[in-house]
Amino acid sequence: MKPKAMKADSIKPKLKENLMIQKPKEKKKRYFEIDANNANDASEKTGSQKEEVYNVKFNKRLMFQLKHKQKKQEEYANAQRNEPVPNKPVKNRKKKYPGKAPVNPYKLEQLSRGEGVGKGVRHPLHAHKLKKKEKIYNYAQEQTARAEILLTEEQGYVEVEDDGKTTEITQDLIRDSVDITAATKIFDLNMDFGPYRMKYTRNGRHLLLGGKKGHLAAFDWVTKKLHCEINVMESIHDVSWLHVETMMAVAQKEWLYIYDNNGIEIHCVKRMDKILRMEFLPYHFLLAGVNEFGFMSWLDVSIGEIVGHYNNHLGRTSVMTQNPYNGTLCIGNSQGVVSLWSPTVKDPLAKILCHKSPLTAIAVDDRGMYMATSGVDRSLKIYDIRNLDGPVHYYKLRCAPVDLTFSQKDMLAVGLDDVLEVYNNCCTKTTVKPYMRHRMGKNICNFKFCPYEDVLGIGTTKGFTSIIIPGSGEPNFDALESNPFQTKKQRKEAEVKALLEKIPPELITLNPFEVAEVDVPTMKEQMEAKKKLLYVRPKKVDLTPRRKNKGKTNIARKKIIKEASRKKYIEEAIEVQKALETPVQPTKPKISYGVLDRFVSNPKKPKNKNKK
Amino acid sequence: MEDVEESEFVASEHDKLVHAISKLDKTQFITEPTRSEPTNLNSEFNLIKTKPKLDLTNVVKVLEDTSHHVQISKKLRKSQDNKQVLAKPLEKPQAERIKRATGYEQAKEKVGRWDPVVARSRAVDFVSFPLKRVSNKMQPTHEFLSKFELKSNLEMELEEIDPPNVPVEEDEEEKVYPMTYEEMLEHRQHSAKLRAQQSYKAAKAKRQSKIKSKKYHRILKKERLKLQLKEFEELQKKDPEEALKKLEALEKARALERHTLRHKNTGKWAKSKLVRAKYDKETRQELAEQLAVSRGLTKKTQANDSTDEENDESEKMPDITLSQDPMNPWMMKRSDNSNVDAEFDFGYKKYVQGKTNKKDDSDTDDELTQHTYGDKGSKSLDMLLLGNSINRISQEDSDDETEETTKIQRETTKTQIPKAKNGDKNKPQSPNKPKSTKQNDEPTIIEHISKKSKPVKRKNEVNNTISSKKTKTAVATSSWSVEPINVLPETKKAKRDVSEAFEVLEKNIANKVASKINKLKKDIKNLERVTKKSKKIENKQEERDNLEYLKLKKQKVKPVIDEELIETAANAPEDVEVSNKPLCDIVKIAQSDVPVQENVDANIDPTRFIQAKPKYLNSIVPEGEGGHDLLDDDDEQVVPKVNIEEVFEEDDVVDSFRQEKEDEINKDKIEDIDLSLPGWGSWGGKGVKAPKKKKNRFISKPAPKFPRRDENKGDIIIKEFKDPKLAVHKVTNVPFPFKSVKDYEASIRVPLGNTFITEKAHKKLIKPSVFTKAGAIIEAMDEDELLDKKNQTFGNEKLMKLLGQK
Repeated sequence: MKPKAMKADSIKPKLKENLMIQKPKEKKKRYFEIDANNANDASEKTGSQKEEVYNVKFNKRLMFQLKHKQKKQEEYANAQRNEPVPNKPVKNRKKKYPGKAPVNPYKLEQLSRGEGVGKGVRHPLHAHKLKKKEKIYNYAQEQTARAEILLTEEQGYVEVEDDGKTTEITQDLIRDSVDITAATKIFDLNMDFGPYRMKYTRNGRHLLLGGKKGHLAAFDWVTKKLHCEINVMESIHDVSWLHVETMMAVAQKEWLYIYDNNGIEIHCVKRMDKILRMEFLPYHFLLAGVNEFGFMSWLDVSIGEIVGHYNNHLGRTSVMTQNPYNGTLCIGNSQGVVSLWSPTVKDPLAKILCHKSPLTAIAVDDRGMYMATSGVDRSLKIYDIRNLDGPVHYYKLRCAPVDLTFSQKDMLAVGLDDVLEVYNNCCTKTTVKPYMRHRMGKNICNFKFCPYEDVLGIGTTKGFTSIIIPGSGEPNFDALESNPFQTKKQRKEAEVKALLEKIPPELITLNPFEVAEVDVPTMKEQMEAKKKLLYVRPKKVDLTPRRKNKGKTNIARKKIIKEASRKKYIEEAIEVQKALETPVQPTKPKISYGVLDRFVSNPKKPKNKNKK
Repeated sequence: MEDVEESEFVASEHDKLVHAISKLDKTQFITEPTRSEPTNLNSEFNLIKTKPKLDLTNVVKVLEDTSHHVQISKKLRKSQDNKQVLAKPLEKPQAERIKRATGYEQAKEKVGRWDPVVARSRAVDFVSFPLKRVSNKMQPTHEFLSKFELKSNLEMELEEIDPPNVPVEEDEEEKVYPMTYEEMLEHRQHSAKLRAQQSYKAAKAKRQSKIKSKKYHRILKKERLKLQLKEFEELQKKDPEEALKKLEALEKARALERHTLRHKNTGKWAKSKLVRAKYDKETRQELAEQLAVSRGLTKKTQANDSTDEENDESEKMPDITLSQDPMNPWMMKRSDNSNVDAEFDFGYKKYVQGKTNKKDDSDTDDELTQHTYGDKGSKSLDMLLLGNSINRISQEDSDDETEETTKIQRETTKTQIPKAKNGDKNKPQSPNKPKSTKQNDEPTIIEHISKKSKPVKRKNEVNNTISSKKTKTAVATSSWSVEPINVLPETKKAKRDVSEAFEVLEKNIANKVASKINKLKKDIKNLERVTKKSKKIENKQEERDNLEYLKLKKQKVKPVIDEELIETAANAPEDVEVSNKPLCDIVKIAQSDVPVQENVDANIDPTRFIQAKPKYLNSIVPEGEGGHDLLDDDDEQVVPKVNIEEVFEEDDVVDSFRQEKEDEINKDKIEDIDLSLPGWGSWGGKGVKAPKKKKNRFISKPAPKFPRRDENKGDIIIKEFKDPKLAVHKVTNVPFPFKSVKDYEASIRVPLGNTFITEKAHKKLIKPSVFTKAGAIIEAMDEDELLDKKNQTFGNEKLMKLLGQK
């Protein structure tokens, strides 16, 4: 079992003056479900109130699965209501200890790893063993679903009255209504060393600040205990923590420097010069940076080697972020194109034309599902970065954003000069209004959400500001993954483990599961080569891969919908034709001579003349 | 004498007795031959082996009388009864083989007892050694006995309070089943049988229906005929009237078949002729005639049929666009992956329709021209032809007005590809007029006419569309259409025209429409006039027929398309508008005959722009920009009035990106392998296209590649290449028990680490398959293991069999 530490921090500012509990739970609407209002509108227009039904062919297996699922869900629902299962005989009702609680089937489905081994294995012994393995896999899945009960913490939220707006809630109001410890998380640091860049550690405990004019400070922002504060006497372009809070990388005017938490210079990496932006990939132990000339370099901090170093030919750009899902770097250029890069491939893995104007910021959410981009054209677009599709949403702002960041709970912070706005649900739904707004007297440079906290840190021209955004952080943390309350010993342990589990840089690809797939083209080649050998019987192998090609769009479904709309239109047309009532001239029944009809002379039809 | 007599009597008596006794014995012995007369020779066949065997019974008989020897005699008899002859001993190798076989059987049985043990120990999750786990700790007696102690008071009391859970057996009501078990089984079997039969029949029918063999079908047909004949004969006896009817029907069917001319060169006669045709000229001719007749007949019918059908179709089929719901993301046109296929279908359909319409109209137009202007040339054929051509040209001139409107209409479509302007075309044609009048050669004139026929047709089509617009009877709408386009060198001019047209459009359109209506009215009047002059029409009909005859070669039914087809969003901008309106409105408009305002924006090529509609966020305007703008945070969207950013937008960014994507796609494409030698067997050089036959034979096309990942995704390029550094980490063959990639990948789908799954499951997954106790001696398995219940109940027969074989 994973040790669960105390609740990190998830504040629930229930504002007393306008406390009103009414959570309008919106059902997630899917595209094929008909919105009641819209449907009515449509029916008014068309005059037909029939719902569209798409017939989907079910095979036996699918039907069985569906039934099974439904049954499970029913059971679960009944268990939740403490009601007996209706299908089961009466005997079981009196059972005192009914056994394990049923698992939420939705959760199970969510945790499913996909289809198991089929009947392809004919060898009885191995088939038997694989069957047993499958059982353990299912057990693991179920256990994980059961372990959800250990996630006790809930997401923070804000409740307002019906006519109230969440944007009206200021930081002062929040500070007044939350407890003292949470209130200390709203603070301001006024510093004079130019625009500040900042970054939190992965567990969200430590903060690194780097001022343009050389000011470098690292501290535990919760206890406000300062680790070090120095002036590097050079301009600082970007800062980044390494895998632990004892080391930090600073991109200075010429070279990249690495300091320890006492401010002592450990390394000067001269191969990474004039770096503009940096990102640390924690699972690969790579410090990635892009420099003024468009050279990108990946430094393996565990062995001190540069694993990738090449020019991206995009020119000078300081719009860079990492995709935590697969470790690729997203770089936006002045043409409005976002390109994805990996250290071993010297071409972009993919390119997306996002805007027609220079990009200002990119952000990718933690799960690697969505990418938000913004351009000089004041637009904000959300892309489905996992499937490389989109734009999913296209928003227009009233001013070009400076920076974008996703929180752990998919809130999007947008910095507009001196105002910071936070949108929730802007990826899955279309939003119009911001969730929170914070106006500051100074210009924003960059900002990041603090992991496992409802806190947003903002680096500004005149220092650093920390504000509370309720519900932005993940309330439950996995202490084996990242622990905000890590002790020194735990840190050392975690470091060793992380090093053992280091992912080699070659595995940075668009699809992180690619390594678990068989290299089918090579396999084909090898098989072909074997076929040419005499007296060797070639192996028979079914080459269909397990994962379907995600790139394909479901054209069949689109076709169905199109067909339906077409039919509808035809029906309408027919109706209208009826309404027009063009009197059809009753044609005389022709005298049929059977086969000899063709010899009957065909007089010119008067039809053409009618047309004129 | 007496003696002799007596002796004789006795002898006969004796013989009888002997015979009787010998009859008692059923076994037939070969009697010893008696010799009646002396001979020197003994037949070898008569030699008989006498049995030297001692018959014990005879011996015993002697003893029978004495009581003392009864016992012995009995014993003797018994021993005589169960006598057995020992078998001959087997040959040594045989004997040994048998010995081995039996030995194998025994050994197999003996070893086979271990099968379940072995199978289980191999199939089980883990085995722990040493196998015997006997606790060497001795149990004291009192400890052992203490387990049988009575319950304590406390326990008893507790039991009183909370009685142990005794499963309460409730008497369930005996349910009444509609069928007994046997009945149910029977029913089920019956239904299964039925189903099976059904499926057999279905399969058979399916198989038979797929047989393409002509011979088979011929035989089938013959059989059917025979059957019918049989039936007919039967009917004849029963019901002669019915039979007559049937006969008629049969006859008719036969006649019909003969009539279809399907057997024009497969019949007996034709075949015999074919054989001869190789050498005999006459037969060849005969055959050719026959074929010609059949061809002529079939051709005629086809022509008639096809036109009729097409006409019908054009009347019935409403041409319809997809109603595009702007809110529906699936229906939204994406930049590149716009609903191409569906639209293409429509475009094509429309094109076909247009063609048919065009044909009709051109016909009618021809008539019209003849009716209206026919007076000029009606003297001789030559003159007539000339006159016709002139007429056409003059009509074109008169049509100029309408063409102007069409031109404008087209220009508004604003397609990239330059289009042929009918109006422009007229100019180069007009100088032809004097030329054609000068020339009196028939063929050249015909050629001339045929050349001209195309543009004329096109114009007529345009006319048609306009007129339909006016009358608005057709509800069919489509935003896409296909138009044949002549690529002329006057593209630049056309472009200039476009810009001009925009300016004059608003002013001209009303005038044009009015003039058009007048024109139409005139036409109608003409028509009326024509009906009056019926005689003249007949003449013209003749002339027309002549023309038709001359044109015959060009008028193939097969559509000859020698121009590029270009899909445009052109044709009736009103269509675009219409598609967004409810149909009732369209009808209203149609009935009111009001010319619809043309929407200029609708003609912009939608694929050239990123299409998604932006949602305006209620964001704040920072203080630095545009002064202090207080937001009232209404639910309404704030839409800015001026888009300054659009000034900075660069369209060439999109274009260049798309170019890049295209290049990327083309880079991967494998080009056709051209093995043809230009000029070999045909003319070569610039502009000479290889004949089709050559193309098919020498240009091999590569196998189609997998579709690209970014194929339907619009402005996204996904590079497709193999990363050699990654390939090192990947598995290149499927390991042993797996036979498919899918199964293998499925077997490694679950991560085993404790950071991914719970500790418990993790421990289960990484459990070793063999445990050994440290320091313990691991003895070999002994026969006690056979008695283990787990082993005895192991029931995986398949596995046991497999492992037993080994």
